[in-house]
Amino acid sequence: MTITTAAGGIARRSFLKGAAGLGAAGVLGAPFIVRAQDATWTLANSMRSVANPYHATFAKGGEEFAKSIGATYEVLVTEGNSEKGIADIKALLQRTGGKLILNVDPNDSPDARTIVEEVQAAGGFVVTQWNKPDDLHPWDHDPNYVAHMSFDGVPNAEAVANALFAAFGGEGGVVALGGILSNVPAIERKLGLDNAIAATGGKVQLLDFQPADWNEQKAFDITQAWITRFGDEIKGVFAANDGMGLGALEALRQNGLAGTVPVVGIDGIDAAVAAIEAGEFAGTVAWDPFWTGSMGLAIPYAHATGKIDITKEPHEHREFYGTGIVVTKDNVAEYKANPPQTDFNDLWGKATGQIQYRSA
Amino acid sequence: MAAQGLAGRAPRPASAMAQERRRAAAGGRLIEQWRRWAPVVVLIGLCLVIGAFNANFFSTGNLVRLLNSAAIPVVLCMGATFVILMGSIDLSVEGVVALAAVVASLLVANDVTAIAIGHLAIVPALAVGAALGFLNGWLHIRLKTPSFMTTLGMGFVGLGIATAILGGVTVRISDQSFRYLSLGRPLGVPMAVWVAALCVVVALVIQERTRFGRWVYAIGADEVTARQAGVPVERTRILAFVIAGVFAALGGVLAAAQFGQGHALIANGRLFTTIAAVIVGGTALSGGVGSVLNSVIGVFIVVVLANGMVLMGIPPYVQQGAQGLLIIAAVALALDRSKLAVVK
Repeated sequence: MTITTAAGGIARRSFLKGAAGLGAAGVLGAPFIVRAQDATWTLANSMRSVANPYHATFAKGGEEFAKSIGATYEVLVTEGNSEKGIADIKALLQRTGGKLILNVDPNDSPDARTIVEEVQAAGGFVVTQWNKPDDLHPWDHDPNYVAHMSFDGVPNAEAVANALFAAFGGEGGVVALGGILSNVPAIERKLGLDNAIAATGGKVQLLDFQPADWNEQKAFDITQAWITRFGDEIKGVFAANDGMGLGALEALRQNGLAGTVPVVGIDGIDAAVAAIEAGEFAGTVAWDPFWTGSMGLAIPYAHATGKIDITKEPHEHREFYGTGIVVTKDNVAEYKANPPQTDFNDLWGKATGQIQYRSA
Repeated sequence: MAAQGLAGRAPRPASAMAQERRRAAAGGRLIEQWRRWAPVVVLIGLCLVIGAFNANFFSTGNLVRLLNSAAIPVVLCMGATFVILMGSIDLSVEGVVALAAVVASLLVANDVTAIAIGHLAIVPALAVGAALGFLNGWLHIRLKTPSFMTTLGMGFVGLGIATAILGGVTVRISDQSFRYLSLGRPLGVPMAVWVAALCVVVALVIQERTRFGRWVYAIGADEVTARQAGVPVERTRILAFVIAGVFAALGGVLAAAQFGQGHALIANGRLFTTIAAVIVGGTALSGGVGSVLNSVIGVFIVVVLANGMVLMGIPPYVQQGAQGLLIIAAVALALDRSKLAVVK
């Protein structure tokens, strides 16, 4: 690191280098390293950033698993940049001589193919999360592409939408905030909402749908405009993630409607769970990022150490959904008292079926 | 809002003034006047169109909501305007807003730290903004790096520190008196709007009644001449970035109060709104032309458009396109192209 040189001299060039290094360290969230016992394999989780609660817990899950086997563990962040994500992975493959077990949430679906091919060429093992092209399958890249994990947005969004409808008595208009329109989770969650609305047979109407790009500020401004446009026709607000839901909640609060108009979100972040306890949120779906963060390493590690032969496992053990927990006011106390546990030896205990391709 | 406050108050170098006189003599006076008021005309036109589609637009409730949506962008623009008037740019807005919001949220009653110093938390938050702003200006001057790169880097540093402090945690603020900064409603108007209004007054005084204000215009119009005329260019530049940092930090404090939270992603999307509003308001990226009042109008154009498109039920895809076209149209209307030798 060049920070040390910056402390000594104030020559322009070295200072610049130091500043760049400092900036980079800040942006990277300072990758942390655990002392090794299993010196053979290096473990790494790659994700967008550690600034959001989901990915921070995802990184933590990987760290805890690495600790349990005493292996070196690194965190790679893409900062939303596909090229940086892939370059970091290539560098790590180079440094470890291919002895790498990688658990990656690719920045964009096409990245998954490049990453899988790089890891296969180097002889490492990889598990992908959430994003991959539909025609890229682990069994086509045996044994290096171990598995792909995801959560099914459709039934979970449908379940939390139903919790919203129940909260306002099952009749009336709702408004909905979507994620970035081209994101797979955004599409699935919208589909889940549409299914739930269709199932009410016209009792619940969708007044308006606006993408707020996962951004709470945008959600705030859009919700303010909705209050003007629809007034008390709005019986509930559906948000495709908790961040946008919280933005909508604050807009309702500014207009004296917090707690009167229920909101639901998805992701299960702490602030959303607290809002459920306060009676302002009607529900959220808690994913289990600790589980994905750790199991995405535990499964390939089990194969690498000969505990299982991944090539002999069925397809539902290679491409599978995790379990989302719908949290509402009825079970929020229980959820908080018994947060989801992860058993590193129970490789597929929380898998709920093989991934389906709806577009095909 | 005095007419003189809007656009084009730069003390121009002699050659430019002569040019202007010639143009005025050639009958360009009317066009010059029109340009000065173009952003206001755009805003009024926009309001009338939206009001025609949905009468609720002019309801008191919606006007208050518009003011509320505009409050934080206005605060951010007050600082950004001075930097852009100098012909520089400050891209560190999101980093400063995020770090200030995180610092403030950790110092008021919250669920992460045991510290609770109430409204005093605003002081260190603003100090952080001033410090980042100072670094922006100082590095930009001392290393002679373009403000574009310096502030972009400093923005990343701000976000990086905010991320490193929190590690992905969201701080929840339980201090209701701090949240009053956003939720309070003196005279039925949100507290954030009062704060923003005060910021406009302060910025206007800085612009109109201080030497610094005049120097900013002089540097933006022609830095070489300004230097020869004895303007302390370096000090003025650094001070402009410090002021921008303080306003951005205040925006961060208001954002924390508005959402009752502090986290590293709280400022996402702020940079684009800020720069767009300043430019749409008629302040030229090339420097020397514009005013903080132009930026206030610019913010309202952006906010009213976003609000109006939801009110009119315009499909989301079209909304983005409309926003882009509006920015181009506003800049085209406000810019005096006859003065430009080259367009880059």
